[in-house]
Amino acid sequence: MQRVKNVGYDEDELYDEEDDVYEEDGDPGYTAEDRANFSALTPVVRAELEEAGVQASDQDIGAALWHYFWDVGKSVSYLKNSRTPRPQQQGVKKEDKPKAKSKFDEAAQKSAETAAHADMPPMSAADWFRDVPWTQIPPEMEGSIVPATPVIPRPKLLGGSSKLARLAEERRKKAVAAANVASPPVTNGASSSLDRLSRPKDTKENEAPVPKVEPKRYPIRKKREPTPPPKEPTPPPPEPEEEEKPDLRASPTSFGRTLAASLPHSRYTPSMTLKDMLGSGVTEDPFKGPSPDDTKLTNGCSITGNTGKTKQPAANGLAKKTEALKLGDSAPSAPSPPKVRSKGLDVPNLWAGGKSKRKASAAFVVIGHVDHGKSTLMGRLLLDTGAVSQRDVDRYQKQATELGKSSFALAWVMDTGTEERERGVTVDIAQHHFSTDSVNFTILDAPGHRDFVPNMIGGASMADLAVLVVDANQLESGMKGQTREHVLLAKAVGLKRVLVAVNKLDATAPYSWSQDVFQKVKNDVLKFLGEAGFAANDITVVPCSGLSGENVAKAPKPNEPAAWVARTDLTLLKALEQAVPSGGNGDAVKRPLRMQVADVFRGGITNPLSVSGRMTAGNAQPGDPVLVQPSGETATVRGVEVSGEPRDYAVAGDICTLHLTDIDPIHICTGDVVCDPSQKVPVVESFTAEIEALDSLLPQSVDVHLGRLHTAGSITRLVATVDDKGVTLKKKPRMVKAGQRAIVKVAVEDGVPVEGGEMVVLRAQGETVGFGIVERTGG
Amino acid sequence: MRLIRQNIERKTGAGSATLLPEEPEDMWHAYNLIRPTDLLRASAIRKVVTESGSGSRSNERVHMTLTIRVTKLDFDPQAAQLHVSGRVAVENKHVKLGSFHTLDLELQRNFTLEKAEGWDSVALDTLKEAINQDAKAQLWAVVMQEGLANICLITDHQTILRQRVEVNLPKKRAGSTDHDKSLQRFYQTTFDSLLRQLDLANPKPLLLASPGFTAGSFHQFIKTQASNGGNKQIQQLVPKITVAHSASGHLHSLAEVLASPAVTSKLSDTKFARETQLMDRFFELIRKDDARAWYGPKECELAVERGAVGKGGGVLLISNSLFRSQNIQTRKRWVRLVDEVKEGGGEVRVFSSMHESGKRLEGLGGIATILTWPIEDLDEEVDGVQEGQDMPDEDGVDGGVDGIEGVSGHDEDIDFL
Repeated sequence: MQRVKNVGYDEDELYDEEDDVYEEDGDPGYTAEDRANFSALTPVVRAELEEAGVQASDQDIGAALWHYFWDVGKSVSYLKNSRTPRPQQQGVKKEDKPKAKSKFDEAAQKSAETAAHADMPPMSAADWFRDVPWTQIPPEMEGSIVPATPVIPRPKLLGGSSKLARLAEERRKKAVAAANVASPPVTNGASSSLDRLSRPKDTKENEAPVPKVEPKRYPIRKKREPTPPPKEPTPPPPEPEEEEKPDLRASPTSFGRTLAASLPHSRYTPSMTLKDMLGSGVTEDPFKGPSPDDTKLTNGCSITGNTGKTKQPAANGLAKKTEALKLGDSAPSAPSPPKVRSKGLDVPNLWAGGKSKRKASAAFVVIGHVDHGKSTLMGRLLLDTGAVSQRDVDRYQKQATELGKSSFALAWVMDTGTEERERGVTVDIAQHHFSTDSVNFTILDAPGHRDFVPNMIGGASMADLAVLVVDANQLESGMKGQTREHVLLAKAVGLKRVLVAVNKLDATAPYSWSQDVFQKVKNDVLKFLGEAGFAANDITVVPCSGLSGENVAKAPKPNEPAAWVARTDLTLLKALEQAVPSGGNGDAVKRPLRMQVADVFRGGITNPLSVSGRMTAGNAQPGDPVLVQPSGETATVRGVEVSGEPRDYAVAGDICTLHLTDIDPIHICTGDVVCDPSQKVPVVESFTAEIEALDSLLPQSVDVHLGRLHTAGSITRLVATVDDKGVTLKKKPRMVKAGQRAIVKVAVEDGVPVEGGEMVVLRAQGETVGFGIVERTGG
Repeated sequence: MRLIRQNIERKTGAGSATLLPEEPEDMWHAYNLIRPTDLLRASAIRKVVTESGSGSRSNERVHMTLTIRVTKLDFDPQAAQLHVSGRVAVENKHVKLGSFHTLDLELQRNFTLEKAEGWDSVALDTLKEAINQDAKAQLWAVVMQEGLANICLITDHQTILRQRVEVNLPKKRAGSTDHDKSLQRFYQTTFDSLLRQLDLANPKPLLLASPGFTAGSFHQFIKTQASNGGNKQIQQLVPKITVAHSASGHLHSLAEVLASPAVTSKLSDTKFARETQLMDRFFELIRKDDARAWYGPKECELAVERGAVGKGGGVLLISNSLFRSQNIQTRKRWVRLVDEVKEGGGEVRVFSSMHESGKRLEGLGGIATILTWPIEDLDEEVDGVQEGQDMPDEDGVDGGVDGIEGVSGHDEDIDFL
């Protein structure tokens, strides 16, 4: 059992003492044979030892022999090793022991060593723990790293390690020699490997006797700081690795030291807190200097300047309306998004100031009966003005041909929806931008099908002028259908200027580009528009062909059948430029913000919530707080885009996209109004409107359209019929006949955001029955 | 509803009827039958507090049959529950005379109704209609447009909005599939909500109506779901689907859908078809400014008074909401009007205020007539009468004077729950 133990605790000195005692006690246990062996072999061993210059007592020799079962060689080498002084034993200890010891063993061994070193008398358990401050560790006991102290020589591994030991010895000697040759090492033993890591490299190099040779390498090395410097290619001043080697040695653990150190009670200050101790410990800490991370950070982006701001979101949630805390975000990919404050621009003045420099801008809605070629004409216009590349159109052409709809290729520029392409019908408003030399245009391509008139109303309400597309060959079908309705709706939403594009002239009968057909259609349309209430000088008629492209952006060539067009009429593009209304009105810009939401969408990763629409009044810039009605939720403008480009601000009349933040998407719907929080749009359940009836009206259910807003409602009362000047003709009429003007009360299902002066359209059973202006809300 | 027994005297209308409600719609009939001041006898559970001699109290729930004199009715169309409040009219050992109680009428439990003023003609008609055991038409309908779906149950007498799905769909934009994705999500949501409402074990016809392609696409979506999943019940639902066109996705478009031939051929409800036809005729006349069509309580009364609603095409269209008036006198006034028209040989059509055609009538004030011969400027005469009688200027459309309470209020409750 003892021997087994010996194998385990190979260097246990305490055990050795016990062993001695045992042997003395065990003397009587030696047999006669043993004694004979002792007497025979001891002189042999002694002779060997003396040969090696090692002194040993008889007893030791005896013990060694006993342990090695009378093997003289082993005993001698053991004794030799145990008697040889080993100044740097710990440094090479690791190489001595090829096998890793368990942590438990190491710890036990270390505590034993330290205890032995401090000449601690054997003590009881109570004594042992008497001075241990279990929680409040005085700084003296703090686990600071101290210079390594030489440890007394200890017996080497017991079993057959003599060769290894000798090798180690030789290496050690060489190391000592090399160390003597080299410049004196930085002798602070406390510089552990950790220390080396934390010490900035440049300091180290400055300390080096020879200035750095290759300054170029500095940045590269700096990056690699966290890893220990490579040992082989050391720079010219030989930084001997041996110098650092002792630093790698594990120092006594703090736990061990704390347990082992005996401390006079007088030095123990109970009032000392843990924090104090940690603090005092830290002062000696090699981490004192700036860490490489710190230096890196201070050199790079100045995050410290932002730390105060990062707390703003919370504060902002509490006081959204405070101007000072307005948030914006230009770089959300940064770890802590820096909030962009409002620039506080005086938008009305800026806008008025930059008026002359700016290009005019205009939005036009393209209306007309289904299949009269609205989308195709617009596709052609975009292609010829270069807003869409020929390559895209070729691709559409290919795809459309595969579907057997090659003539729809140009329309696909506008009709991007899957359903729209499959069925060849525009369903929703398509929005597209293009610019000429003098004007920035926004196209709002309306659907022609009667089922999608609600979408057309929404588009028309965002436009400045209308482009009516009529099929030269099918004027009649349009007049019965949506050509008529669209014209009336364009009027209803307040559009004044109409540009008539007589389309498909390349397919007229009996021959293409028949001037007679064009004249006839022109006269009919002019007559109709006049009846609808458009002034003659607000109407321009242009002949064109969307599919073949004549007279859209380019005038036809002289040798073509359409040559006559160039002599008599403008191209569609020229006519559009001429029709652009002059400037907006500055007053609208100064009024409180109003913008009806035409679309709510995800504007990309950086802008999870965006709304687009036409700003009818006021202005907006990033950082502005806004309110969304009817939900009544507040939000903050984080970015503004006009025509797909970021801007500093948007003003009344712009069709813009606002990127919002601080609001949940469920609070915003198409048809909602984004407004100024201080002057919000009222949400009402009924309103009074002066309307013009297109069909006989009774108290009945109707669909109520307020721009993009489409809701169910009903006419609850016919208040009175009036004449053009608003004079009451008859109170409480039984019904309002088609063509009459009347004041009616309209109730809507849910509250809608509406103000006096807005245009309202009433529809029933898929037909427009009336349109007019909201006079009074509520009540 | 089953008539268990009745002892109503033909001439005076006195007597009582015992009825057994069998299905949810019977509650709607009961709601139209029971009026304030009626005597209602039904089973009830009442908490009885007994105080012993020593002053200690004990609560007990006692099952008993109570007779109350009705003061108020409360009808919840979605849950098809009817709560009738009143004062106890017959004393028993637990409940004192005159104490208040609210009876919750339950399915499969008899109740007995006795009219205080006797059973009038309208009440008898309602009763007859209620106990009519003819095949009951039931139909599910989803009226939708992109981003909005109204799921409703259409029965003979009611259109009940069961669920409304409203989703904000991003508009199409180049290079983004958000629109398509959210459209699919919208269909999925609508489909899930629909399945939660339907009784798949016993599928009823399902009507999908929308402007544009929405209903068609949704139909396709359901088909795909049925073929993908192994759910046999959904597969059985597919052949019962009809796709129709509506002008919008709002509920009031349903009237137009239900009147369309594609749907009427599938509906056994001839009553509804007839009603819709009448309403259309009325609207047509009034559009032509024909002096034979009039609406509004005063106008109709005046016309009836003059005997203009008689033989040869005279029709009185009246909503049953008028008969539900809390005011006995008001109800009597309308019953008298109906009787008068019947005596004169005219036709009387009572519209259900919860049905689509009834709702159109509600918009006109709940009452309209098509006269046998035209009367010009009836409204001016009404104005003249009003001024002569110095009556308040408010006319009946808003309720108030004519007691057409609930015309808008009640209706809205049902619509927008």
